[in-house]
Amino acid sequence: MPASPSRQRSEGRGVTSAGRGIDLEASGLGFVYPDGTRALEGVDLRIPAGDVVAIVGQNGSGKSTLVRHFDGLLRATEGRVAVDGVDVGRRHVAELARLVGVVFQNPDRQIFAGRVRTEVAFGARNLGLRGAALDERVAAALEWVGLTEHTADNPYDLGYSKRKLLAMASILAMETPAVILDEPTTGQDLVGVARVRSIVADLAAAGRTVVAISHDMRFVAETFGRVIVMQAGRIVLDGTPGEVFARSNWGVLAATYLEPPLAARIGAAAGLGSTPTEATLVAALLAGRISPPG
Amino acid sequence: MLGVIVGSATAARIGRAFVPYLLATIPLIASILLVNTFLYPGATDRIVVLGPIAPTWTGLEAATQAALRVVAFAMSVALLGLTTSADHLVADLERRGAGRRLIFVVGSTLRMVPRMIERAVEITEAQRARGLDTEGHAWRRVRGIVPLAGPLIFGALTDVEELTMALEARGFSAPVRRTAIRTFPDSPGQRIARWVIGVGALALLALSIGGRLAGLP
Amino acid sequence: MSLVLREVRYRYAGSARAALDGIDLILEPGTVLGVVGANEAGKSTLCLVAAGLAPATIGGRLEGTVTIDDLATSSARPHDLAQRCGILFQNPATQLSGTAATVWEEVAFAPRNLGLPLDEIVDRVESALAALRIEHLAERDPQRLSGGQAQLVALAGVLVLRPRYLVLDEPTSQLDPLGTRLVGEALTGLVEATGAGILVVEHKTDLLAGLAATIAVLAGGRVALSGPATDILADDALEALGVEPPSRVRLERAARHAGVSLPAAV
Repeated sequence: MPASPSRQRSEGRGVTSAGRGIDLEASGLGFVYPDGTRALEGVDLRIPAGDVVAIVGQNGSGKSTLVRHFDGLLRATEGRVAVDGVDVGRRHVAELARLVGVVFQNPDRQIFAGRVRTEVAFGARNLGLRGAALDERVAAALEWVGLTEHTADNPYDLGYSKRKLLAMASILAMETPAVILDEPTTGQDLVGVARVRSIVADLAAAGRTVVAISHDMRFVAETFGRVIVMQAGRIVLDGTPGEVFARSNWGVLAATYLEPPLAARIGAAAGLGSTPTEATLVAALLAGRISPPG
Repeated sequence: MLGVIVGSATAARIGRAFVPYLLATIPLIASILLVNTFLYPGATDRIVVLGPIAPTWTGLEAATQAALRVVAFAMSVALLGLTTSADHLVADLERRGAGRRLIFVVGSTLRMVPRMIERAVEITEAQRARGLDTEGHAWRRVRGIVPLAGPLIFGALTDVEELTMALEARGFSAPVRRTAIRTFPDSPGQRIARWVIGVGALALLALSIGGRLAGLP
Repeated sequence: MSLVLREVRYRYAGSARAALDGIDLILEPGTVLGVVGANEAGKSTLCLVAAGLAPATIGGRLEGTVTIDDLATSSARPHDLAQRCGILFQNPATQLSGTAATVWEEVAFAPRNLGLPLDEIVDRVESALAALRIEHLAERDPQRLSGGQAQLVALAGVLVLRPRYLVLDEPTSQLDPLGTRLVGEALTGLVEATGAGILVVEHKTDLLAGLAATIAVLAGGRVALSGPATDILADDALEALGVEPPSRVRLERAARHAGVSLPAAV
C-alpha cells in the first residue's frame, strides 16, 4: 500500500537541498522604533536547525518585532542577528526570503491575485521558479494545506480559515528552510487548527526550523517542543512546555497575564508534577505518580 | 492680504511654524520667477541682455505678483492647519447644521490616514517576505503595484462595509438632528473679524474683476 | 417577550446559496446563548440576521420571521433596531467611529445620532461605561487603546442605547490573552448589570463554558444541536460538527479512555 501523501512529502522534503533546516540566532538584540519606543531589549536566542519553537506573550511584548528581524524586515538597533550562521547585515529582504518564510497573521494583507493558484505561485515565482517546476510546487503546496479543490477559485470566495491556509501555502511553496508563522490558529475552526498542526508536524519531520507566534497555550503545549515567553521586549522564560508551564513558573506567567493549559493546572493541583499536555497528564495519572508540587 | 495673515499668525504665536510651509513653496516660486522673468510673452523692457535670452521688467513684475499669491495661499492654508484642530473644525461644522454624513466624512478621513499607513506597511512587509523586490530597478518596482495596492484597496472596501454596519447599528441613519455637545466661545470680536475678512475679500475680488474689465478694449 | 427566529432562511444579495437554511432559535432576556460551529456554518450570518442588519442594512433575502420583542426586522429601520438589539463584531478598529477624540465622545456617538437630550446622553454614557467597568478610560483617545480596551469601548458604544438584546460575533477572536480575559470578565457581569439577552458566537469553548447557559451548534446554515451548555459541550458529536470541546471535556474523555479518572475541578 502506498505511503500516505503526507508521509511521502515529509520524507521527500527531508532530502531536498532546501529542506534542511537552518539556525536562527539573535545576540544582545535590541530594537527601538524611530519614534523612540523600545520594542526589544537584550534578546539572546539561539534556535538550532530543525527546532520547533513557539513564542508567546501579550500584544506589545515584542514577539512580532523579534521575528521580523529574521527576514530583514527590521534591522537591529543593537546587537546582532544571524541566519544560517551568517550575520544578516545588509542582506536584502528579498534574499532572506529564500531562507526564512514568514506567514503573517492576516491573510487579507497579502492576497491580491484573482486565482488561488496565482496567489500561491507569487512567492515561488519571485524566487525565480517558472514553468513546470513552479506548477508542481504550487500543486504540492495546495495539497499540503488541503485546498486542491479550490485551485482555480477566487481567493475571496473562500472563507477566512481557508484564506489563512492559502497564505500559508504561498510560503510553503517557497520551500524555505525556516518557516515563521504569526498566529496561525487565530480565527481557525477545529479543522483549520488540525490542519495547521499537521503542517507543523510535517515541517518538523522534514527537519525544517519552525517558529510560531501564538496566543493559544494549549495549541502551543501540544504542538511545540520549545516555548519562549516574552514580556516587555525581553525573553522571560525559555524551555520545553514541561519546564515553562511547571508550577514554579506560574508567577512569571501570571505577571504577564498568561495562564498555563488546563492539563498543567490539574496535574500540579493533584501533585503529579509538570503535565502540560493531555498525553503527559494521562500518562502521569496512569503511572500514579505523586511528586512534590514544584 | 499678506498683512492680515502675518498679523493673525503673530497673534496666535505660531510664526515659526510657518517656516516648513514656506520652504515647501520655494521650488514653485523659483520656477515662477524664472519662467516669468525670462519668458514673459510680448515684453520688451529688458533688464540686461544675455545673448538669446533676456529678463524683462514686465516679466519680473508679473513673476513677483504670482509668487506673492502663491505665498499668500500657502500661508493661509498653513494658518488654517496650524490653528484649527480637526475636532474643533468638525464640531463647529456640526453645530452649524452641516449634514452628519459630511461631518463623518471629514472627521473620519482625517483619522483614517494613520490607519491606512499602518496597513500599507503591513502589506508591504508581507509581500516583501514573499520576495517582492522593493529595492531594485524601477521597472521591477512597477510590478509591485498590484500586490501592494490590491490588498490596500480591498481592505479599505471591506472596512467601509464593516464600518457602515457598525455605524448603522449605532443609529447613524436616524432622521433627526444630532445633539451637539460642544459649544465654542465665539466672542463678538471674532464674529466681527469674520465679517470684515469676508466682506473685504469680496471687495478685493470685485475690484480686481472690475479693474480687468476696465482694462479691456 | 424575546428575540425569536422562526423558520429563518437567508440569502446574501447576489448569492444563490442559502447562508441560513431553516433556523429556529429563541433568545430570552437575562440569559446568555452561546453559538458555535465550523467556519462558514452561518454563525456570522446568524448574528446579522438576529440583530436585523440583514436585511435592513445589507439587503439580501430573508424568509421566515425575525422578531425582536414586538418588532419584525424585515420592515424595521436600522435606528429602531439599534435600540432593541446591539451588535459587536470581531475587529475593534473598524467599529470605532473614528470621529471621537475621547472614549466618552465615542460612546456618546449613538445617542447623539438619535437626538437625545444632553443630560440623558450624559447619564447613559456613564452607565454604559460603569456596566463594563471602564470609567477610567473615559478621557483616553480611542485610537490608542489596546485591542481588549477598544472592544470594550465598542461594546459600550452599543450598550449606550440600552438594547434588551446583544449579539456578539467572535468578540475575542482578535485579542491577546489579556484582552480576551478583559472582555470575558466584562461579559460575565453584563447580564446582571443590564438584564440583556446575549447571543455570543465564539470558537473558544473554554470561554463559553463559563459564560453561556445554553449553546446552539450551527452546521450548514442550520441548528444541528442545542440545549443546556454543560450537556452540549460534553456531547460526542461536537468534533464531527467542527467544534473543539472545552479543555475540561477533552481531558476527561482522554482520562476515561485510558481508564483513569481525572482529579476534581481546579
